[in-house]
Amino acid sequence: MVDKKEISDLKKRKKEEETLLEMGKFYFLNGKYKEAIAELEKVVKLNPKNSEAYYNLGLVYETKGMNEEAQKMYKQALKIDPKYKLAIEHLNKLTGI
Amino acid sequence: MAKLQFVIIGLGTFGMHLAKNLAGKGAQVLAIDEDEEKVHEVSTLVTQAVQADATNDKTLRELNISDADAAIVAIGESMEASILTTLLLKEIGVKKVIVKGISPLHGQVASKIGADKVVFPERDMAERLAESLVSPSILETVELSPEYNFAEVLAPARFVGKSLRQLDMRTHYHLNVIAIKRKIPELLDSGETEFKEEVIIAPEPNEEIAEGDIIVVLGKDKDIEKIKE
Repeated sequence: MVDKKEISDLKKRKKEEETLLEMGKFYFLNGKYKEAIAELEKVVKLNPKNSEAYYNLGLVYETKGMNEEAQKMYKQALKIDPKYKLAIEHLNKLTGI
Repeated sequence: MAKLQFVIIGLGTFGMHLAKNLAGKGAQVLAIDEDEEKVHEVSTLVTQAVQADATNDKTLRELNISDADAAIVAIGESMEASILTTLLLKEIGVKKVIVKGISPLHGQVASKIGADKVVFPERDMAERLAESLVSPSILETVELSPEYNFAEVLAPARFVGKSLRQLDMRTHYHLNVIAIKRKIPELLDSGETEFKEEVIIAPEPNEEIAEGDIIVVLGKDKDIEKIKE
Protein backbone atom coordinates (compact mmCIF):
# COMPACT_ATOMS: atom_id res chain seq x y z
CA MET A 1 0.00 0.00 0.00
CA VAL A 2 1.21 3.47 -0.85
CA ASP A 3 2.18 5.58 2.04
CA LYS A 4 0.14 8.75 2.60
CA LYS A 5 3.32 10.71 3.18
CA GLU A 6 4.71 9.51 -0.13
CA ILE A 7 1.63 10.76 -1.96
CA SER A 8 1.80 14.08 -0.20
CA ASP A 9 5.52 14.43 -1.06
CA LEU A 10 4.80 13.59 -4.66
CA LYS A 11 2.04 16.20 -4.82
CA LYS A 12 4.34 18.75 -3.24
CA ARG A 13 7.05 18.07 -5.77
CA LYS A 14 4.61 18.27 -8.65
CA LYS A 15 3.36 21.60 -7.34
CA GLU A 16 6.93 22.89 -6.97
CA GLU A 17 7.73 21.78 -10.51
CA GLU A 18 4.68 23.59 -11.88
CA THR A 19 5.50 26.76 -9.96
CA LEU A 20 9.10 26.78 -11.17
CA LEU A 21 7.98 26.23 -14.76
CA GLU A 22 5.52 29.13 -14.51
CA MET A 23 8.28 31.30 -13.03
CA GLY A 24 10.60 30.37 -15.88
CA LYS A 25 7.92 31.26 -18.43
CA PHE A 26 7.16 34.49 -16.60
CA TYR A 27 10.80 35.56 -16.65
CA PHE A 28 11.07 34.68 -20.35
CA LEU A 29 7.98 36.73 -21.19
CA ASN A 30 9.53 39.68 -19.37
CA GLY A 31 12.83 39.44 -21.22
CA LYS A 32 14.75 38.20 -18.18
CA TYR A 33 16.50 35.35 -19.95
CA LYS A 34 19.17 34.56 -17.37
CA GLU A 35 16.58 34.18 -14.62
CA ALA A 36 14.32 32.16 -16.93
CA ILE A 37 17.13 29.69 -17.63
CA ALA A 38 17.88 29.33 -13.90
CA GLU A 39 14.24 28.45 -13.08
CA LEU A 40 13.83 26.10 -16.02
CA GLU A 41 17.07 24.31 -15.14
CA LYS A 42 15.58 23.67 -11.70
CA VAL A 43 12.50 22.12 -13.31
CA VAL A 44 14.48 19.63 -15.41
CA LYS A 45 16.55 18.77 -12.36
CA LEU A 46 13.38 17.96 -10.43
CA ASN A 47 11.81 16.16 -13.35
CA PRO A 48 14.07 15.28 -16.29
CA LYS A 49 10.95 14.21 -18.21
CA ASN A 50 9.38 17.67 -18.31
CA SER A 51 9.27 18.34 -22.06
CA GLU A 52 7.70 21.78 -21.64
CA ALA A 53 10.67 22.95 -19.57
CA TYR A 54 13.06 21.79 -22.30
CA TYR A 55 10.97 23.51 -24.96
CA ASN A 56 11.05 26.74 -22.96
CA LEU A 57 14.79 26.44 -22.46
CA GLY A 58 15.11 26.06 -26.23
CA LEU A 59 12.97 29.15 -26.72
CA VAL A 60 15.07 31.25 -24.34
CA TYR A 61 18.33 30.15 -25.99
CA GLU A 62 16.93 30.79 -29.46
CA THR A 63 15.79 34.27 -28.44
CA LYS A 64 19.30 34.95 -27.13
CA GLY A 65 20.71 33.88 -30.50
CA MET A 66 22.28 30.70 -29.04
CA ASN A 67 20.95 28.43 -31.72
CA GLU A 68 23.06 25.36 -31.00
CA GLU A 69 21.95 25.21 -27.39
CA ALA A 70 18.37 25.84 -28.52
CA GLN A 71 18.54 22.87 -30.89
CA LYS A 72 19.78 20.60 -28.10
CA MET A 73 16.87 21.61 -25.89
CA TYR A 74 14.24 21.13 -28.61
CA LYS A 75 15.71 17.71 -29.36
CA GLN A 76 15.51 16.84 -25.69
CA ALA A 77 11.86 17.96 -25.55
CA LEU A 78 11.12 15.80 -28.60
CA LYS A 79 12.86 12.79 -27.08
CA ILE A 80 10.32 12.94 -24.28
CA ASP A 81 7.35 13.98 -26.42
CA PRO A 82 7.95 13.26 -30.12
CA LYS A 83 4.69 15.01 -31.08
CA TYR A 84 5.51 18.34 -29.42
CA LYS A 85 4.34 20.60 -32.27
CA LEU A 86 6.05 23.85 -31.31
CA ALA A 87 9.34 22.06 -30.58
CA ILE A 88 9.18 20.37 -34.01
CA GLU A 89 8.51 23.71 -35.73
CA HIS A 90 11.38 25.47 -33.99
CA LEU A 91 13.83 22.64 -34.53
CA ASN A 92 12.93 22.42 -38.22
CA LYS A 93 13.42 26.14 -38.62
CA LEU A 94 16.83 26.04 -36.94
CA THR A 95 18.07 23.07 -38.92
CA GLY A 96 16.80 24.64 -42.12
CA ILE A 97 14.23 21.98 -42.99
CA MET B 1 0.30 42.69 -58.35
CA ALA B 2 0.50 40.01 -60.99
CA LYS B 3 2.25 36.81 -60.02
CA LEU B 4 5.91 36.56 -60.92
CA GLN B 5 6.59 34.19 -63.78
CA PHE B 6 9.70 32.04 -64.08
CA VAL B 7 10.96 29.51 -66.56
CA ILE B 8 13.29 26.81 -65.33
CA ILE B 9 15.17 24.76 -67.87
CA GLY B 10 16.82 21.62 -66.58
CA LEU B 11 15.39 19.70 -63.65
CA GLY B 12 18.48 18.32 -61.96
CA THR B 13 18.82 18.69 -58.21
CA PHE B 14 19.27 22.47 -58.42
CA GLY B 15 16.55 23.12 -61.00
CA MET B 16 14.13 20.82 -59.22
CA HIS B 17 14.61 22.49 -55.83
CA LEU B 18 14.38 25.92 -57.41
CA ALA B 19 11.14 25.02 -59.20
CA LYS B 20 9.57 23.62 -56.04
CA ASN B 21 10.65 26.60 -53.94
CA LEU B 22 9.45 29.22 -56.38
CA ALA B 23 6.10 27.44 -56.75
CA GLY B 24 5.91 27.18 -52.97
CA LYS B 25 6.33 30.94 -52.76
CA GLY B 26 3.36 31.45 -55.06
CA ALA B 27 5.19 32.19 -58.31
CA GLN B 28 4.10 30.86 -61.68
CA VAL B 29 6.67 28.34 -62.81
CA LEU B 30 7.15 26.71 -66.17
CA ALA B 31 9.55 23.78 -65.78
CA ILE B 32 11.22 22.24 -68.81
CA ASP B 33 13.33 19.10 -69.10
CA GLU B 34 13.91 16.35 -71.62
CA ASP B 35 13.44 13.64 -69.00
CA GLU B 36 9.82 12.52 -68.77
CA GLU B 37 10.20 11.22 -65.22
CA LYS B 38 11.50 14.52 -63.90
CA VAL B 39 8.77 16.45 -65.68
CA HIS B 40 6.22 14.12 -64.15
CA GLU B 41 7.70 14.55 -60.67
CA VAL B 42 7.38 18.31 -60.74
CA SER B 43 4.12 18.50 -62.70
CA THR B 44 1.77 18.56 -59.72
CA LEU B 45 3.71 21.33 -57.99
CA VAL B 46 4.37 23.89 -60.71
CA THR B 47 2.04 25.81 -63.03
CA GLN B 48 3.21 23.93 -66.10
CA ALA B 49 5.77 21.21 -66.72
CA VAL B 50 6.84 20.41 -70.24
CA GLN B 51 8.98 17.66 -71.67
CA ALA B 52 11.00 19.37 -74.40
CA ASP B 53 14.42 20.01 -75.86
CA ALA B 54 15.24 23.59 -74.87
CA THR B 55 18.00 23.86 -77.47
CA ASN B 56 15.38 23.67 -80.17
CA ASP B 57 14.56 27.20 -81.30
CA LYS B 58 11.07 26.33 -82.55
CA THR B 59 10.08 24.48 -79.39
CA LEU B 60 11.25 27.29 -77.15
CA ARG B 61 9.41 29.94 -79.16
CA GLU B 62 6.21 27.89 -79.11
CA LEU B 63 6.24 27.96 -75.32
CA ASN B 64 5.67 31.70 -75.45
CA ILE B 65 8.04 32.63 -72.66
CA SER B 66 9.21 36.09 -73.69
CA ASP B 67 7.06 37.70 -70.97
CA ALA B 68 8.62 35.73 -68.13
CA ASP B 69 10.27 37.74 -65.38
CA ALA B 70 13.32 35.51 -65.53
CA ALA B 71 14.51 32.26 -67.05
CA ILE B 72 16.94 30.05 -65.21
CA VAL B 73 19.13 27.74 -67.25
CA ALA B 74 19.89 24.93 -64.82
CA ILE B 75 21.30 22.47 -67.31
CA GLY B 76 24.08 20.67 -65.49
CA GLU B 77 25.66 18.21 -67.87
CA SER B 78 26.03 19.72 -71.28
CA MET B 79 27.82 23.05 -71.63
CA GLU B 80 26.79 23.17 -75.27
CA ALA B 81 23.10 22.77 -74.43
CA SER B 82 23.37 25.38 -71.69
CA ILE B 83 25.05 27.94 -73.94
CA LEU B 84 22.67 27.31 -76.84
CA THR B 85 19.62 27.63 -74.59
CA THR B 86 20.96 30.86 -73.07
CA LEU B 87 21.49 32.31 -76.51
CA LEU B 88 18.00 31.34 -77.63
CA LEU B 89 16.40 32.81 -74.50
CA LYS B 90 18.14 36.13 -75.09
CA GLU B 91 17.06 36.09 -78.74
CA ILE B 92 13.47 35.43 -77.78
CA GLY B 93 13.69 38.49 -75.54
CA VAL B 94 13.46 37.05 -72.03
CA LYS B 95 14.17 39.96 -69.68
CA LYS B 96 16.53 38.20 -67.35
CA VAL B 97 18.48 35.02 -67.94
CA ILE B 98 20.27 33.37 -65.03
CA VAL B 99 22.63 30.53 -65.81
CA LYS B 100 23.92 27.82 -63.54
CA GLY B 101 27.63 27.72 -64.24
CA ILE B 102 29.18 24.36 -65.01
CA SER B 103 32.81 25.48 -65.07
CA PRO B 104 34.55 28.88 -64.85
CA LEU B 105 35.01 28.88 -68.62
CA HIS B 106 31.37 28.05 -69.20
CA GLY B 107 30.45 30.90 -66.85
CA GLN B 108 32.58 33.33 -68.85
CA VAL B 109 31.05 32.24 -72.14
CA ALA B 110 27.53 32.49 -70.71
CA SER B 111 28.23 36.05 -69.54
CA LYS B 112 29.67 36.98 -72.95
CA ILE B 113 26.60 35.80 -74.82
CA GLY B 114 24.32 37.81 -72.57
CA ALA B 115 23.50 35.86 -69.41
CA ASP B 116 22.47 38.46 -66.83
CA LYS B 117 23.84 36.41 -63.99
CA VAL B 118 25.86 33.25 -63.63
CA VAL B 119 25.57 31.32 -60.38
CA PHE B 120 27.73 28.50 -59.08
CA PRO B 121 25.50 27.00 -56.38
CA GLU B 122 28.14 24.70 -54.90
CA ARG B 123 30.86 27.34 -54.87
CA ASP B 124 28.47 30.00 -53.54
CA MET B 125 27.16 27.68 -50.83
CA ALA B 126 30.71 26.68 -49.87
CA GLU B 127 31.64 30.35 -49.53
CA ARG B 128 28.63 30.96 -47.29
CA LEU B 129 29.30 27.88 -45.22
CA ALA B 130 32.95 28.83 -44.79
CA GLU B 131 31.90 32.30 -43.72
CA SER B 132 29.40 30.95 -41.20
CA LEU B 133 31.95 28.48 -39.78
CA VAL B 134 34.64 31.09 -39.38
CA SER B 135 32.31 33.87 -38.22
CA PRO B 136 29.33 32.23 -36.51
CA SER B 137 28.01 35.58 -35.32
CA ILE B 138 27.67 36.81 -38.90
CA LEU B 139 24.50 35.07 -39.95
CA GLU B 140 24.04 36.09 -43.54
CA THR B 141 25.75 38.37 -46.00
CA VAL B 142 24.55 39.71 -49.30
CA GLU B 143 27.09 41.25 -51.62
CA LEU B 144 26.04 44.67 -52.79
CA SER B 145 29.25 45.40 -54.68
CA PRO B 146 32.67 43.73 -54.50
CA GLU B 147 33.44 46.01 -51.55
CA TYR B 148 30.13 46.55 -49.80
CA ASN B 149 27.93 43.97 -48.14
CA PHE B 150 24.69 43.75 -46.27
CA ALA B 151 25.19 41.51 -43.26
CA GLU B 152 23.01 40.13 -40.52
CA VAL B 153 25.02 40.06 -37.33
CA LEU B 154 24.07 38.79 -33.91
CA ALA B 155 24.42 41.81 -31.63
CA PRO B 156 27.55 41.34 -29.52
CA ALA B 157 27.02 41.34 -25.74
CA ARG B 158 28.84 44.67 -25.42
CA PHE B 159 26.14 46.33 -27.55
CA VAL B 160 23.22 45.11 -25.40
CA GLY B 161 21.41 47.86 -23.49
CA LYS B 162 23.03 50.62 -25.51
CA SER B 163 21.19 52.88 -27.92
CA LEU B 164 22.26 53.29 -31.54
CA ARG B 165 23.18 56.85 -30.69
CA GLN B 166 25.52 55.65 -27.93
CA LEU B 167 27.05 53.01 -30.18
CA ASP B 168 27.51 55.48 -33.02
CA MET B 169 28.42 52.71 -35.39
CA ARG B 170 28.89 55.02 -38.32
CA THR B 171 31.81 56.73 -36.61
CA HIS B 172 33.30 53.78 -34.77
CA TYR B 173 32.78 50.97 -37.29
CA HIS B 174 31.87 52.76 -40.54
CA LEU B 175 28.67 50.76 -40.63
CA ASN B 176 25.08 51.82 -41.18
CA VAL B 177 22.36 49.99 -39.28
CA ILE B 178 19.57 49.34 -41.74
CA ALA B 179 17.30 47.26 -39.54
CA ILE B 180 17.04 45.33 -36.31
CA LYS B 181 15.43 41.90 -36.14
CA ARG B 182 14.11 41.18 -32.67
CA LYS B 183 12.39 38.22 -31.08
CA ILE B 184 9.57 39.28 -28.79
CA PRO B 185 8.41 36.67 -26.26
CA GLU B 186 4.67 36.13 -26.22
CA LEU B 187 2.07 33.96 -24.54
CA LEU B 188 -0.25 32.08 -26.87
CA ASP B 189 -3.95 31.56 -26.13
CA SER B 190 -3.09 27.95 -25.38
CA GLY B 191 -0.91 29.11 -22.48
CA GLU B 192 2.23 28.08 -24.33
CA THR B 193 5.16 30.43 -24.75
CA GLU B 194 6.45 31.54 -28.16
CA PHE B 195 8.18 34.50 -29.69
CA LYS B 196 7.26 36.62 -32.64
CA GLU B 197 9.86 38.19 -34.87
CA GLU B 198 9.75 41.92 -35.34
CA VAL B 199 11.76 43.84 -37.89
CA ILE B 200 12.50 47.46 -37.05
CA ILE B 201 13.38 49.13 -40.33
CA ALA B 202 15.56 52.25 -40.21
CA PRO B 203 15.69 52.25 -36.40
CA GLU B 204 15.67 55.54 -34.50
CA PRO B 205 18.91 56.67 -32.78
CA ASN B 206 17.19 56.08 -29.42
CA GLU B 207 16.54 52.40 -30.17
CA GLU B 208 18.31 50.21 -27.64
CA ILE B 209 19.91 46.94 -28.64
CA ALA B 210 18.36 43.98 -26.82
CA GLU B 211 19.90 40.60 -26.10
CA GLY B 212 19.56 38.31 -29.12
CA ASP B 213 18.95 41.18 -31.56
CA ILE B 214 20.13 40.62 -35.10
CA ILE B 215 21.38 43.84 -36.58
CA VAL B 216 21.34 44.32 -40.33
CA VAL B 217 24.27 46.47 -41.32
CA LEU B 218 25.63 47.89 -44.54
CA GLY B 219 29.36 48.35 -44.87
CA LYS B 220 32.69 46.96 -45.94
CA ASP B 221 33.64 43.37 -45.18
CA LYS B 222 36.55 44.29 -42.95
CA ASP B 223 34.37 46.66 -40.92
CA ILE B 224 31.64 44.05 -40.52
CA GLU B 225 34.29 41.62 -39.23
CA LYS B 226 35.26 44.13 -36.54
CA ILE B 227 31.96 44.11 -34.69
CA LYS B 228 31.82 40.37 -34.15
CA GLU B 229 32.89 39.12 -30.77
